[in-house]
Amino acid sequence: MKTAVVLITAIVAQALGDVCLTKGMKAIVALEAADAGSVAAVWHIALQAIQSPMVWIGTLLLIVFFVLFSAALSWADLSFVLPATAFGYVLNVAAGNYFLGESVSSRRWVGAAIITLGVLFVSRSGQSTVDRPGEQLPAPGVLE
Amino acid sequence: MITAVLIGLVVLGGSAGDVCITKGMKQIGEISTLNLRVLLRTFGRAIANKYVLIGLFFMAVSYFSFLGALRLADLSLVLPATSISFVITTIAARLFLKETISAIRWAGIVLVCIGVALISLPSQP
Repeated sequence: MKTAVVLITAIVAQALGDVCLTKGMKAIVALEAADAGSVAAVWHIALQAIQSPMVWIGTLLLIVFFVLFSAALSWADLSFVLPATAFGYVLNVAAGNYFLGESVSSRRWVGAAIITLGVLFVSRSGQSTVDRPGEQLPAPGVLE
Repeated sequence: MITAVLIGLVVLGGSAGDVCITKGMKQIGEISTLNLRVLLRTFGRAIANKYVLIGLFFMAVSYFSFLGALRLADLSLVLPATSISFVITTIAARLFLKETISAIRWAGIVLVCIGVALISLPSQP
């Protein structure tokens, strides 16, 4: 239960963070295309980015994601947590479609469905397979 | 060729980073409190942990390799190519963290890998 709450919060924060970052970065006015990649153009974009509230909110949400992801790794397997967070790709496709009006091809919806199936499989496999010697088992029903 | 090396660094750096952070967080021990003071102290211990710091370094290597790869190749090549990192990280978790990967977990991870590749391939072939 704890794992589910932490990972779902992490994934939602990541998806919202990506949407905010995209909104913020898309609002930036680029210099002439011919100058793209020049030091001046990169500086110009960076200056606008750090003044954009959307970019700040997005970055903050991604930090929240990373902290929760690391917290989950303090008790669950990496080979459980990492594929579980791949559900974020599915949310990203849905959020891109809903909040940013991005068109989503049928192949991407199929990809999202396959990821969902994969995450369901992984979630059936138990969250921790590593013995942690010296650690007391929590009383049943306290946290799980 | 340089693109391939950079994509390799993206994948290997990401996997090494995840493995190190897991190792560090396992040393910190299971977080099972909502007490803010305890959480803040745990956070302080985590960012001072040797493995967590090495892990963050590897993630930075991975991130800057990603940016470098994007300068040389399209996102539509780089992103699907990095989906293999789900499999590489799982192998690394087995080797270095002694995690047991059951058949159903492997099946799920391979499905995730295929799905991520499908999502990130270019829309107009």
